[in-house]
Amino acid sequence: MSLFIESIGFGLITASVLAIAAVGFTVQFGVTDVLNLAYASVMICSAYVAYLINQLGHGQSIWLAMVVAAAFGAVVSLVLNKYIYAPFQRRGTSPVAVVIVSLGVLLIIEYLVQAFEGAANVSYTMTQGATLNFLGLTLTVVQLAIMGLSVVFMIGLHLLLRYTRFGKAMRATAADRVLARNCGIRTDRVITLACLLTGALCGVAGTVFAINTGSFGATSADLFLVLILAAVFLGGPGQPYGAMLGALVIGVVTEVSASVITADYKYVPAFVILLVVLAVRPRGLFSAGTLN
Amino acid sequence: MSQATLFYLANLLIYGAVDVIACLGLSMQFGVAGISNFGYIIFQSAGAYTAAVLSLPHDTANGGFQSYIGGFGLPFPIPLLGATVVGGLVALPFAILVGRRLTGHVAAIGLLVTAVMANLLVTNFVPLFNGAAGLSVVPQPLQNLLNPQTQTYQWIYGAVGAVIAVLVYLLFRRITESPYGRSMRAMRDNSVVANALGKDLLSMRTAMLVLGGMAAGLSGGILVGFITLWDPGAWGYAETIVLFAAIIIGGTGNHKGAILGAILVPVGFEEATRFIPSSLGPPGMIPALQWVAIGLLIVGFLWFRPQGIIPEPRRRIFARAQARLAHARGDQSPQATLATAASPPSGSPAASGGAILSTEGVVVSFSDVRAVDGVSISVGRGRLTGLIGPNGAGKSTLLAALAGTVPIAEGRIIFDGQDVSRVPAYLRARLGLVRTFQLASEFKRLTVVENLLSAVPAQSGDTLRGALRGRRYWEHDELEAIEEARDLMDHFGLLEYADSYAGNLSGGQRRLVEIMRAIMAKPKLLLLDEPMAGIHPTLARTIGRHLQTLCAQGMTILLVEHELGFMDEFCDPVIVLAEGRVLAEGTMGELRGQSEVVEAYLVG
Repeated sequence: MSLFIESIGFGLITASVLAIAAVGFTVQFGVTDVLNLAYASVMICSAYVAYLINQLGHGQSIWLAMVVAAAFGAVVSLVLNKYIYAPFQRRGTSPVAVVIVSLGVLLIIEYLVQAFEGAANVSYTMTQGATLNFLGLTLTVVQLAIMGLSVVFMIGLHLLLRYTRFGKAMRATAADRVLARNCGIRTDRVITLACLLTGALCGVAGTVFAINTGSFGATSADLFLVLILAAVFLGGPGQPYGAMLGALVIGVVTEVSASVITADYKYVPAFVILLVVLAVRPRGLFSAGTLN
Repeated sequence: MSQATLFYLANLLIYGAVDVIACLGLSMQFGVAGISNFGYIIFQSAGAYTAAVLSLPHDTANGGFQSYIGGFGLPFPIPLLGATVVGGLVALPFAILVGRRLTGHVAAIGLLVTAVMANLLVTNFVPLFNGAAGLSVVPQPLQNLLNPQTQTYQWIYGAVGAVIAVLVYLLFRRITESPYGRSMRAMRDNSVVANALGKDLLSMRTAMLVLGGMAAGLSGGILVGFITLWDPGAWGYAETIVLFAAIIIGGTGNHKGAILGAILVPVGFEEATRFIPSSLGPPGMIPALQWVAIGLLIVGFLWFRPQGIIPEPRRRIFARAQARLAHARGDQSPQATLATAASPPSGSPAASGGAILSTEGVVVSFSDVRAVDGVSISVGRGRLTGLIGPNGAGKSTLLAALAGTVPIAEGRIIFDGQDVSRVPAYLRARLGLVRTFQLASEFKRLTVVENLLSAVPAQSGDTLRGALRGRRYWEHDELEAIEEARDLMDHFGLLEYADSYAGNLSGGQRRLVEIMRAIMAKPKLLLLDEPMAGIHPTLARTIGRHLQTLCAQGMTILLVEHELGFMDEFCDPVIVLAEGRVLAEGTMGELRGQSEVVEAYLVG
């Protein structure tokens, strides 16, 4: 029984990491209409940037490094969208072909990282902090910090989307770009800002992913990308609240099945959920509209 | 040449054959049928594992250092045949994912996830195929008769592989160049429209998944018989990307391009990097840069040359058919040509009076909007009925509901005495209920004549079986249909564009192609959605007269149009729709006398 509760604790941590990544992915998809599979490579590249900062001098704080990684992720995401995906879209390239382009970009970024950093995994220099016992869960301070960070981001995004002009402009752009532009919304600027915002989430997600897994390499996030897709499609692509719920379900299911079945098959239930959702309800459980 | 070089060349030939067969299967699925199968590598892997466990002895008799299911110790060529069959069988469940509803990138993601999951399962479930370590010492074909270590054996292996690759190419070309292949290219260009013309998307996609899966399985079988080992590392999802890269670079929708791509990308890249000294840079840098290069090639080709090195050829079938007919006329008496008198459309001419279509309280809802709100109409046989109404009245939605493109929430649709309310769109088309679309919906990468031919119902070459029986079997039907298409194109002044891509025509010309295509389907009831939009008024009258002729011959037409002058001249009766409901019905003259119609529409 305690193992079960323990696994729920792990599930909540995985869900926290996943939520940051999935919400960034889904908002980016909603606003830009690109199913950007290279997202995983930007995550890992940002995690490496954090690693480089972390290794400077005598072990810089990983939390400071995370801020730099967020900035890096933001810039890379913007560059990818502005100079690669958007030109393809303007030319009328089909969505599937743009997905293939993003797969090409994924290969380029991941293996450039590998070419320069080598195939060996690396780890951050950091302490896990004290171990806390909490409602039957055993968590470290770092794990609690990741969960707290995720909750803060989710609330922040909620406030942004609901109550700010930029949030509303983003929702309008996601719902219908042409209509939004005709209503006087500067959609190009909205897309730029949305890329920076989701790119920053991507950078943070990469760093917390790397902290959480302990050690990571250039292709470590490939499997995580499938979990992101599972969370995103479960909640309905383009829908941040759906992605949050999707992340919670996928995260907990993954870790619980690791303890109930075996760790070897921990991803399988999540994938099965995704396939069933795709086959039965391809637009996700919340298919009302994007960014709502 | 040194022995080592000859060995190396024999190796290259075998790898080349394997990659060519795999790329041909993907070319069929992605290039011709438009299925983005990101899980394609699973089929190759299924073939490889099948061939391995069919040829390996039982695992207890194999030293016990690896565990696997089966182990039948079967001789060549049974493992290869098994690999082909299992490659096709494994493809069957995929049909659920890419069936009627899931298309484009959503299906692609589903298939990608399936590939990753299958790899995880095989890696972790050791009793199946020995887990992560994989299978090794797989017996080679005929190794008891010939020594696999000799060069002769390798050259024979390579030659057999090459012959199989050529056979697969010829088979796939035969299918692609048939009317069935044309239907698949139509589905690739616009699956909704193909469905509305009577194409069964699920059956075509399933057939292509299975056929491509068989090719992939065969390639896996040939590969494992040569390298004698197979493990999960050999079929990560990135391997599928390599095959996609090959097709994109070689040329999508073109099997010759797939062959070229197979030689350039999987074979070429493996080999080119052999000649780079590994002392260059840290260990692992060269293989990593190889992946970077594949990524760059994909993005670069999709930007600079999306059609690939060998683009899909434009099929000049009209010119070819004319040449053949001229030849036939020269040989025989003029009466023996294939030209037939324009056959009257099916359905019973002059049986006017009865209704060919009637609806009872049809409702179509989009979340909380009732776009069509309880419409009951009846369309008289042999009449040219008009449908008008202000923007947003639900005209196009009603047409889509009648044709089955959108489902109805309530009510019934009776067509030709049969309740078709729940009949899928492609079957309604086959019953004789055919629609056109408001937005341009020509198949862009089909020529004008191919567009027209794609609608001809029940062509002998428009099934997989018919396609396999070859050109001799279906050519007579095809030439007859081309003659019919020629009369139509001549009538509407598009004869000179017969062999041009429909996507390159002007807006008005494309509308004409769509109308002609619908006429070629010989429907009993033709639903036209704003056919005159963007068409010159003089031409619109020509079309109107032609539609009247068709009605006189027994066709029934229901037509949405904003141009009231056209309604005045050609349509009787006219139904007025407003806010999803029928407002009035009658001749235009009668309608002009009704104040609520004038208020709702005619003035505004």
